[in-house]
Amino acid sequence: MTKVNKKVLVVDDEEEIVNFLCNFLKRFGIEAAKANNAQEVFKKHKEDKPDFIFLDIQMPECDGIEILRQLRKNNSHAKVIMITGKTDKNSITAAKKYGAIDYITKPLDLLDLSRKIKNYIL
Amino acid sequence: MKTEYQKKLQIAARQTILIHRADTLIRIILRTIVQSLKVKHAGIFIYDKSKDEYVVKISRGHCNFKIPSGFVKIKQDNPLIRYFTDKNLKFTKEHILWDRISNYCKAPSVKNNTKVKNILEGIKSNLSLYQAKACIPGFFREELVGILFLGDKINKKKFNDNELRFLSVLASDVVMALKNAWLIEDLNRQIELNKRLLLQTISALASSIEAKDKYTIGHTERVANYSLAVAMVLRKHQKIQQWDKFIENLRLGALFHDIGKIGIPENILNKNGSLNREEREIMMQHPTIGANILGHIEELNQALEGVKYHHERYDGSGYPSHLKGKKIPLMASIIALADAFDAFTSDRPYRKAMSIEHAIKIIRKGRGSQFAPSVVNAFLEVYYNKEKFADIINGEPMDALQAKTTQESKI
Repeated sequence: MTKVNKKVLVVDDEEEIVNFLCNFLKRFGIEAAKANNAQEVFKKHKEDKPDFIFLDIQMPECDGIEILRQLRKNNSHAKVIMITGKTDKNSITAAKKYGAIDYITKPLDLLDLSRKIKNYIL
Repeated sequence: MKTEYQKKLQIAARQTILIHRADTLIRIILRTIVQSLKVKHAGIFIYDKSKDEYVVKISRGHCNFKIPSGFVKIKQDNPLIRYFTDKNLKFTKEHILWDRISNYCKAPSVKNNTKVKNILEGIKSNLSLYQAKACIPGFFREELVGILFLGDKINKKKFNDNELRFLSVLASDVVMALKNAWLIEDLNRQIELNKRLLLQTISALASSIEAKDKYTIGHTERVANYSLAVAMVLRKHQKIQQWDKFIENLRLGALFHDIGKIGIPENILNKNGSLNREEREIMMQHPTIGANILGHIEELNQALEGVKYHHERYDGSGYPSHLKGKKIPLMASIIALADAFDAFTSDRPYRKAMSIEHAIKIIRKGRGSQFAPSVVNAFLEVYYNKEKFADIINGEPMDALQAKTTQESKI
């Protein structure tokens, strides 16, 4: 498989989910970086300037919406897809306000996820 | 001669009977499948009734393949589901095998049938998404409850008929375990509901006396609070048989201790001034009336002693049965003291409320005559723990006290 030349960051406080998503992205030739919390996101963002971020909304301490807000404040133009546990309308609206391009609701359909990967990243 | 994996799988299957938690059993089964059939991974979709979809609940195997629990779902219209559930599709419904599906796709009869072809292609793409080589359905009657999915064998060999038969057995074991678990869940929910209903009915009944006797407003709840606090301290010093039951019945007994006053005429209950001899005799019937009322409710039988004997005195001069000393049930002794303390510290038709200090003095004095010594000791211990005592006096909700009880009893 040809390597995709786009920088992707996967953010979730659950290690298993990050690993699963990164492995899934690998099938599309995407080597994604991982982050488990806000600090890691900001650090990776500074170093790598990712083009795409999969960002979990529900995280302890600093949630996905807040991370997104701060990224935008620091002039991040990354395309962000939120991952949400429940169809929480308020957080989806907030995410859109800060320019998230889409969201996926857990549990997710892998076919859906691959479509989104193909649409947005490939 | 059975092969090793068959033995292992049979052992796993038998655990259905022993393990009540479905997910534990499923975990064991999946681990056994991964180890014994030497597949790269195995997982299971389980039907979620509330959302009408199938969710990967448990998955085992190499970390590259492990799907986080509850992270992935498929809908009813997914070809993997339709293959097993769509009555119009005439496939063998025992299992889905990657190789067989690939062969079907090439068959001339399928090539011209767009509907079937689409489904088969859909199955193929789903199998690759889950990196699965085989899917085994678990049915309960007509209902598809779960689907096992298995990755490639490490040696790339195909699954043989024996293995597939065993996997089917395991799938139906999983279904039985799930069905049982769901049944128990439903049952527990129902029990919880009934319990809540009973408790609400009880509080309504217990507070009904307050409608008639204005001096009991809040009294029953406070007596219950004091009683629970005393019981918790008592427990530190003496063994109380069947503690959980005891505390529950104590609470009920305390809530109901005055329920018999329903049978006492209002002019006596609310009389301004002291009662004459005849009135006092009528008033003294309330513990017996209360016990008679509750005697009709089986669930409250154990709380009855607390109601019937809460006016007995340690020296035998109480009523209605003139019980003495240890003959008075502990529950009743506790309620008696809590009842007296609350009466002392509340306004009465014939006198104003006493100060707490004054009430404590009387209780001390009554140790061994009116009140059981051990109960007085426990009460004083509660009293000296000022902070907690203030909470109880201010009517900390009984539920909170209850919660504390269970926590403490765990320690």
